[in-house]
Amino acid sequence: MRTKLHAARAALVMVALALAVLAATLFAVPAVAAEEKVLHVYNWSEYVPQSVLDRFTKETGIKVVYTTYESNEAMYAKIKLLKGVGYDVVVPSTYFISMLRDDGLLARIDKSKLKNFKNLSPKVLNQPFDPGNEYSVPYMWGSAGLMVNRKVVDPASITSWNDLNRPEFAGKVILSDDQRDSMGVALKALGYSVNSTNEAEIKAAYEWLKKLLPAVRVFDVTASKQAFISEEVAAGLIWNGDAYIAASENENLAYVYPREGVPLWVDSLAIPLGAKHKDNALKFIDFLLRPDVAKECVEEYNYSTPNVGAQKILSPELAKSRITSPSDADLKNAEFTNSVGNALEIYEKYWEMLKTGS
Amino acid sequence: MTLRLRTLRTWLVWLVYAFLYVPILVVIVYSFNDARYTTEWKGFTLKWYSALAANGPLVDAALNSLSVATLAATIATVLGTLAAICIRRYRFPGRKVLHGCIYVLTVSPDIVMGISLLIFFIAMGVQLGFWTLLAAHVTLALPFVTVTVLARLAEFDEQLIEAARDLGASEWRAFRHVLLPLAAPAVAAGWLLSFTLSMDDVLVSFFVTGPTFEVLPLRIYSMVRLGVKPDINALSAVMFTVTIVLVLLAQTLTRTRRK
Amino acid sequence: MTQRRPFRTASIAVVWLWLGLFALLPNLGLLLVTFLERGESDFVRLVFTWDNYARLADPVFIRILGESLWLAAASTLVCLLIGYPFAYAVATARRGLRPWLLLLVVIPFWTNSLIRTYALIIILKSQGLASNVLMALGLVREPVSFMYGEFAVFTGLTYTLLPFMILPLYASIEKLDKRLLDAAKDLGASSLRAFWHVTLPLTLPGIVAGCMLVFLPSLGCFYIPEILGGAKSMLIGNFIKNQFLVARDWPLGAAASTILTVLLVLMIIGYWLSSRRVALRERKGADTGAATAGRTPDTAHGDGEDMTHGARGRA
Repeated sequence: MRTKLHAARAALVMVALALAVLAATLFAVPAVAAEEKVLHVYNWSEYVPQSVLDRFTKETGIKVVYTTYESNEAMYAKIKLLKGVGYDVVVPSTYFISMLRDDGLLARIDKSKLKNFKNLSPKVLNQPFDPGNEYSVPYMWGSAGLMVNRKVVDPASITSWNDLNRPEFAGKVILSDDQRDSMGVALKALGYSVNSTNEAEIKAAYEWLKKLLPAVRVFDVTASKQAFISEEVAAGLIWNGDAYIAASENENLAYVYPREGVPLWVDSLAIPLGAKHKDNALKFIDFLLRPDVAKECVEEYNYSTPNVGAQKILSPELAKSRITSPSDADLKNAEFTNSVGNALEIYEKYWEMLKTGS
Repeated sequence: MTLRLRTLRTWLVWLVYAFLYVPILVVIVYSFNDARYTTEWKGFTLKWYSALAANGPLVDAALNSLSVATLAATIATVLGTLAAICIRRYRFPGRKVLHGCIYVLTVSPDIVMGISLLIFFIAMGVQLGFWTLLAAHVTLALPFVTVTVLARLAEFDEQLIEAARDLGASEWRAFRHVLLPLAAPAVAAGWLLSFTLSMDDVLVSFFVTGPTFEVLPLRIYSMVRLGVKPDINALSAVMFTVTIVLVLLAQTLTRTRRK
Repeated sequence: MTQRRPFRTASIAVVWLWLGLFALLPNLGLLLVTFLERGESDFVRLVFTWDNYARLADPVFIRILGESLWLAAASTLVCLLIGYPFAYAVATARRGLRPWLLLLVVIPFWTNSLIRTYALIIILKSQGLASNVLMALGLVREPVSFMYGEFAVFTGLTYTLLPFMILPLYASIEKLDKRLLDAAKDLGASSLRAFWHVTLPLTLPGIVAGCMLVFLPSLGCFYIPEILGGAKSMLIGNFIKNQFLVARDWPLGAAASTILTVLLVLMIIGYWLSSRRVALRERKGADTGAATAGRTPDTAHGDGEDMTHGARGRA
């Protein structure tokens, strides 16, 4: 019985300590004020630098309460279940804008209140997922291109997505675990649209991937840059922001825009229909459109900025880099990913078949 | 036990502890690594600690996680132990259903539990935040306590409690003085498992928390797309060190009191 | 009998209330969803159908299920083989030391799992810690990578799930009466025989509990196989998550989750039945004495449903 008492006593001490921590916590965390000068931002972790948030609060007196999600899909499910109530600003990628809009979950954006909207480049505006940008304001954009290691192959000889099939890359190919990305690359390699809803084309893409499969080392779920930097893989799909970092960490790495074109994405700021602080949200969006602020944001993450004003004052490294500041030739045939509606089921079916080796 | 077996045992214990702690040591070492992105060693720095100190939201999320985990583990342990005792000792309507619930909860994928609880909370008209998160974490952890306590009580001698009852002890007193001391190691183990589960849950938390209450695992998992920053390593190192110091402190305290 | 009521009634009420609200109700809702149709704008449409189950009678899904069950079973076995001797060692350590040794097992797991998994990458990757140590020891000539394969997946799963095996095992082994072992040895049993006939049966409830707490959650686990294994095959956890989030086919995801639950409950019932047969056979045998005597009719014993009963009676 002694040992039990000891265990019980030890447990008691631990609980007491834990409660002490708890008490400290409750006192340490200031209660979130329910006052009007507040803004609930729903975004990826630290996708807006803390310094920018602090500056916004200092200038406007609006406190930013920033919570996070880990994928567009999860954010979409939650916003939909909550019927757009609770959050004031969300940052959906590309076609998640049209999905939220079609479900009637987004508020129309009053652009007359955004005096910095004019800074945005027409290249990223007025895309199929939100014609006329009535519901979204681009925040950051980029491409998903092909990265190769010079030790294995001369990057100049790589011009097509089909080069992934080259024998030098056997067992060293990385693809994305996002089905729309990987299927998108396969569709592009075959000369189709990344937004194809044609079952025959999707099936062909599946067969293209299936043929490539023996050469694939990993379907990436986290940052593909690590696998490239440590040379676990030698070729494959990568986001341009990651590519920029990887290339600066390992000089053997090169980023290529295949001639069939690359999938493009854009993360946009949007206001859910049920937002309680819509004016604050507009102020926040306008603040992020200021060239100096947009510059600070994009330099933190090394993606591309849709902000022409920011592009002009960008650090020379980013401005010169073809990875983050692509030329028009680089983006020939490039395509923004769009919603495929019910064809999603076809994608899902072939993706499952690919993953189970059927 | 022979001498050889004893050495073997000591070796095994050390090996397992090494297996458990080497990755943590790696995290601590890398919290001093002067590299923003890579997993290569680039020299010593303390800058991630100052970055951590300046990162208020991250520290708040960590403190939120600690308070939810502490409370959730405690409530789950109480409820889970009671559930184990009810299932083990009492006959009442729906007992088998309850027992089944315990296993169903353990199997439920996080995504299913998260979404179904969110729908339930919305239907109830509850404001999402601390309380919904707490209820979800208690539900998540409860079966782990129950299964552990049930295993401990498996060979439990019913005569002990009957003897206590014959001597005039109430059911509560019999529980307090016979059952609980007997189950204590399992109850403690259950609390530890619950705390661990709560500190690490992402998907359930994602769905049931609201726009003003963020927990640490969510914040960390949501960094995956942009790359996890090294100030997370610094945070992990700080939390780990504080835990170890607290444990050593508590151990010294109990030891001196025993003397 | 009257004075026992308050505690008993209160316990049952509280447990019923909680599990009824947060477990039974949501899961009944889930069951309902499996019979509905996928809806484009509202996740589900209120139309009855068996179709979701029919769609899962598909070689693709069966392969996903098989692969997941195999992975979960194998990692449970690895955890048991490491966890049992370890838990035994901790449970037989000096008394005052035991709670602390146990606490030390859990503390690493209070560091976020993603961060721990990244640390494992640093160890396992090409030219990583493991590779460098092997090179320094002269065991390999060239840098090796342990990433993106079964070895990495098993290392990751074992690492993450080990405490869920060790803690229930400890709680069960710790109360083992060592006099029984001594008695067995006095009667001439070898260490191995004593372990096989005394220790093992008596700690079986702990083994079963540990295996369940590792096996069941590992089925839903997906990010470790994804990150460390390279996501080359799909597991049931991914499948269900994909249905709910990516494909937005809730009824299908719910049906998959239900099939998984039913399958595991059948396995548990199978275990109950077999352990009950063993217990009955033993009861018919010689020693029914003290171990099974003295059970009051009020308690829930002897109906073979309590799965922690398998071990009874051998001592």
